[in-house]
Amino acid sequence: MSEQLPSPDFDTQNYARPNQNWICGHACEGNACRQGPDAKGRCRVTAECKPILQINPGETKGRWRCTRPGGECESGPLPDGSCCRPVAKCSPVPTLRVWRGRATLVVIAASCAMLLILLGNPPWRNQFISPGEISRTHSGAAFAALAATNHLNQNCGACHVAGNSGPHGMVKAAWRAEPGFFAFHKFLAAPAGEVTAIDESCEQCHVAHNFHHPNAAAISCSFCHAEHQGKMMAATTDANCNFCHGDTAKMAAAHVGNNFTPVIHHFADDHPQFRFITEHLHDPDTLKFNHALHLTGATIPNLPGGAKLDCAFCHSPDVAGAFMKPVNFEDNCRVCHSLQFDPATPQLALPHGSAEYVSAFLRSLPKQYADLATKENQTDENGFVQQKLAALRAQFGSGEELERRVFFSTATLGPETQIGTLSGGTRALFPGCALCHEVKNSSSGSPEITKPVMPERWLAQAKFNHAKHASIACAQCHDAVHSRDTADILLPAKETCATCHSPRGGVVDTCATCHTFHNALVVAR
Amino acid sequence: MPAAPTILERPQRWDAAFDAGMTDTDVGRLLATAPFSEMDAEKFPKRTPLREILRNDTRILKFRKGEIIVRQGDYGTSAFLILKGASRVVLKPDLAPSLLGRQAPGKKGVFRTLAQLWNGSRPPEIFSRSQLRQAAGLGARQTKNEVRVFLQDLPRVLNEHRTERMTAGDLFGEIAALSRMPRTATIFADSDDAELFEIRWQGLRDLMKYDDALRAHINKIYRERALASYLRATPMFQHLTEEQLERVAAQIEFATYGDYDWSGEYKRLAQAGTVRPEKEPVIVQEGDYPNGAVLLRAGFARLSQKFGGGERTLNYIGAGQIFGLQEIAHNWRTPDAPVNSQFTLRAIGYAHLLIVPTRVMEEIVLPSLPKDELPAPIEVAQDERDSPPAAENGVREKVGAEVLEFLTENRFFNGTASMVIDLDRCTRCDDCVRACASTHDNNPRFLRHGPAAGSLMVANACMHCADPVCMIGCPTGAIHRESFAGQVVINPDTCIGCKACFNNCPYDAIRMVEIRDANGEFMVDQEMKPIAKATKCDLCVENHGGPACERACPHGALSRLNLNNLDALAKWLKL
Amino acid sequence: MKRFRRQFFLGMFALITATVGALWLHVKFSQALPDYAFLTGWILFAAMLGLTFFNARKKLPFLSLGRAETWLQIHIYLGFFTVALFLIHLNFRGPHGWFEVTLAWLFALVSASGVVGLVFSRTLPRRLAARGGEAIFEKIPVLRHALKTEAENLALGADAKSPVIAEFYTKRLAAFFAGPKNLWLHFVESRRPLNALAAELDDLRRFANDAEREKIAKLATLVRQKDGLDYHRSLQLALKLWLFVHIPLTYGLLVFTALHVVLVFGFSGGAR
Repeated sequence: MSEQLPSPDFDTQNYARPNQNWICGHACEGNACRQGPDAKGRCRVTAECKPILQINPGETKGRWRCTRPGGECESGPLPDGSCCRPVAKCSPVPTLRVWRGRATLVVIAASCAMLLILLGNPPWRNQFISPGEISRTHSGAAFAALAATNHLNQNCGACHVAGNSGPHGMVKAAWRAEPGFFAFHKFLAAPAGEVTAIDESCEQCHVAHNFHHPNAAAISCSFCHAEHQGKMMAATTDANCNFCHGDTAKMAAAHVGNNFTPVIHHFADDHPQFRFITEHLHDPDTLKFNHALHLTGATIPNLPGGAKLDCAFCHSPDVAGAFMKPVNFEDNCRVCHSLQFDPATPQLALPHGSAEYVSAFLRSLPKQYADLATKENQTDENGFVQQKLAALRAQFGSGEELERRVFFSTATLGPETQIGTLSGGTRALFPGCALCHEVKNSSSGSPEITKPVMPERWLAQAKFNHAKHASIACAQCHDAVHSRDTADILLPAKETCATCHSPRGGVVDTCATCHTFHNALVVAR
Repeated sequence: MPAAPTILERPQRWDAAFDAGMTDTDVGRLLATAPFSEMDAEKFPKRTPLREILRNDTRILKFRKGEIIVRQGDYGTSAFLILKGASRVVLKPDLAPSLLGRQAPGKKGVFRTLAQLWNGSRPPEIFSRSQLRQAAGLGARQTKNEVRVFLQDLPRVLNEHRTERMTAGDLFGEIAALSRMPRTATIFADSDDAELFEIRWQGLRDLMKYDDALRAHINKIYRERALASYLRATPMFQHLTEEQLERVAAQIEFATYGDYDWSGEYKRLAQAGTVRPEKEPVIVQEGDYPNGAVLLRAGFARLSQKFGGGERTLNYIGAGQIFGLQEIAHNWRTPDAPVNSQFTLRAIGYAHLLIVPTRVMEEIVLPSLPKDELPAPIEVAQDERDSPPAAENGVREKVGAEVLEFLTENRFFNGTASMVIDLDRCTRCDDCVRACASTHDNNPRFLRHGPAAGSLMVANACMHCADPVCMIGCPTGAIHRESFAGQVVINPDTCIGCKACFNNCPYDAIRMVEIRDANGEFMVDQEMKPIAKATKCDLCVENHGGPACERACPHGALSRLNLNNLDALAKWLKL
Repeated sequence: MKRFRRQFFLGMFALITATVGALWLHVKFSQALPDYAFLTGWILFAAMLGLTFFNARKKLPFLSLGRAETWLQIHIYLGFFTVALFLIHLNFRGPHGWFEVTLAWLFALVSASGVVGLVFSRTLPRRLAARGGEAIFEKIPVLRHALKTEAENLALGADAKSPVIAEFYTKRLAAFFAGPKNLWLHFVESRRPLNALAAELDDLRRFANDAEREKIAKLATLVRQKDGLDYHRSLQLALKLWLFVHIPLTYGLLVFTALHVVLVFGFSGGAR
């Protein structure tokens, strides 16, 4: 055991001084001097002795005497009193602890230097401190021009006050932040979604807070829209909506009267039934149309081309694809309801759209027939016209009767005629305008036909896109085959939507799927 | 092939005379003076004749008026006899500590404590000129190789303190010399021609051995001055009446075994490998009839038992402990089944004992003790090879045989505050040394290195011994005890760097350090020699919170332990 | 040792209680309080400052500020708790952006070096004590130099007179005695170098006469002692060098933390 290490070196004369920063350079040889280096690491040794001036009684000048501990040297001190034998200074060695202190200083200096460099130089600064990628809209040259922060295309200052300035400005902004450094009571009590100073930056470009309900409390933009989440801003979540809509107190405070939206958590669970159902609304359109008949009736002829009449013939998507084009007579009805009044002359049809025009047409029948004869290259134009008019007179009696019949007849039966474009023998069903329209007598001139009103949107608070639902058959949501009245609103109930838009159905069912938060369209200036 | 033995000259009794300058004339003069004139020289053996004792173990000192002869609290090894002139002993009140060269007691104030913050960058041991002065009221003069400190304002001292005059023929200091107790009073010379005879303890002991009158005289003084108060404080005698106590005191014997100079010589012999426990002086032998209860008054003794062919150490005992009580009590209770001494008691170094004879124990002491204070009867082992009684074995097992031997061989049991380091926990971070330095003028007062046994290391720091050999011979009183049996402290202001304590310490715990001025340069004397002062651990007596080393160890590896008995160590090891 | 076990149980109890409590509070309040991250950030900062006070206490041993042992126990368990606080502050997500990643790395390195230091402090001293003997780190070069001189005298000295030993010394041992060796091997407690040298010395005995055998035995002792010195140097260096990572990086971490506070407040929603 004792042979493991050399004998311990118990120095009876000297203490070991690890508290000192510098060790005599001769220590590694075992000959450390007793005096040791000074605090700055300089060797203190000068010479072998310190001569003293010895003035014996009677002498004036005296003599320098050597005081070397081992005995006086032969030469003795120099005349100026310094020792004749200087000793070479050693190179004091710093201890490990000194090196650790130096390492610490180096790390501190390096950290400060790095931070100053990185924070002083804008492109690096922002790359360095950014806690996440900014969405594409808010980054890049276009945005920089828009935000007019012209620090070499850097955009931190567009939103952050501190982003416009260097380290000094950052400290100032930090000092003035609200809540401040040590506002612990505010940390504990701050309400969520409180509007903060950064919202002012948003409002530089985006219109002022414009919420879907005038009573809604102001919410900070960043409550729902978080930046620094990547190339795209993070989508809003149901939690954002539920912050108010899931809170009974907030909903009660925001709404007055009996007409308020209850607390909503999830679409499939407690989203209320669509109002047109709960309030038993009806389509006020005066146009009479029977979907059931048109879709399932045996008497409905096939379309040109042989297909059966289906939803898609009348209802086609508009350019955007989200909604359907409004149904209009010329595209969707005339193909079967050709408005021909003369059974023998199917190619002559009444104009549609204005009662005056119809009256004018009917009163100018001879001219109409004459134009028809010219078009058909009849040789005997006059004779053709006379013949047609005579036939009409024979059928209807008088022009007034014809006109009356055109406007007011509601008979569902009429003469059958072969119409070129339709296949099969069908009847061109036009007994009179009143078959579909509401026709009223008026005191002046032609009868009044109430203009049909076709509401474009029933669910105005929600957005819908038919294109996304293209894989679903129309009948799955719109129960047209059973509707006989125009007054029926053929929109689905909530449960129909929830069949798919629910956790069970598997299709996305977030609030934002159908609803938007901001009232007006978000427009960039 | 065994190595050739190291041959030493056996140390002789009078290798070093107390005073080489004692001449025949001096001896003759002494022989003509009382009490030596009444001594019978024939009674002295040929090896140690009276004349030689007087020549080699004594010296004659001359004192001037006011010079201090002995200080209260100092440890001394000699007695004094006034030959000519007069001396005074200070009775009440005690002299101020500063007059005795002591440091002012008390802890550092707020400013001094906070000022230590700047210690780290300063050179070690910086002093200012103003500190390096003896206290006002004291002067110092150098005679030949000695320094004498004298009281300057004698009339004032005499005014403020009650003193008693001693004249030619008066003897003093013998109790301290024989029992290794601190001096009980300060004595200074009262006339310019005072001449004192000083005899060291070896000579005194021999004189006592062979001269009945001196022995009787000293015994009488001992009993009158020292014994009664000590007995009153001993737990065993608490239940005795005054009259019983006097009877006990009258019949107590006291004895000194071993060698007071055990430290220096022992080390040399130990290194030469010639020390064995069997060579230590036996006080009580195992198997002997117990003659009396042994009270250890000062020093140390080893408890051992026969084991195989040799002796096995079971424990050691220090001052205040009793040996043999169990056997005597057993014999008293069961007189028909008596036992002999179960252990051998040997003096380690030296031991100063009081022996209460068995008869006195049986007649006076034991009947006075209540039943629960009597020790349990001994179960006599049928087979001698059985292990010793549980009590003693317990200590050995707690601490371990290796450690026990280690402590005994290195005489570490002397320490009341030994620095013990657990090498299994020490990360060698030197925080302890740094803490010591920052509380002591940027100079650490110990070495984080020392002899080790297994994972236990006793570092080279002052152990504040129960028997402080370093305190003997300080000329200015700079080294002193803070309180009775308290820390041993060196007052740097009055230390003159004579190296008496440095040379005395058997553990090399004291080191001389050159003092520096504010620039870090050594302060030098007229001969351009650096002035050095003795420094050592002072148990942070001036600092708040106790020893800084212990408090600074982050891993609980360092502790200042009282090794006089093994309880503290056992507790720490089991911790 | 009962005291150390008691410290351990007390510390672990406090740590587990505090961590469970912190996690419970986190679950309860992390969504409810919008400025939660500021709160946890300041608490984390306070904990970090508390940890650095240990260094300050070590520099003030003359003030009665409590035992360093107690301070270290607090430092260790508070350190572990700070790791939990750190994770809570980050809401158990990763940091984003160069600055935050650097800050997180600094914290991780400081914590990891602390754990490494703890492991060192509890395992290396026992190995040193088991090896036997004690060598003061600063004295090792002196002792090594003395061993080298002695070995050189033995092998190459004027009265050595043994070409076998001299050759062996020059080839194998001179490099061994020249400086510290086998730092890593000693650290992983490998006896390979010593065993290899001992085997070679053993081999040498075949070519040696009696006097030379004595010298070889002495050389073997010196080799063992030098190996012991290397072992002590390796482990004691490890005990000193881990702090070269822990402490400087702490200061770097503090610099970065200060800036983090400025950035967080300067770029928060409420900065004006």
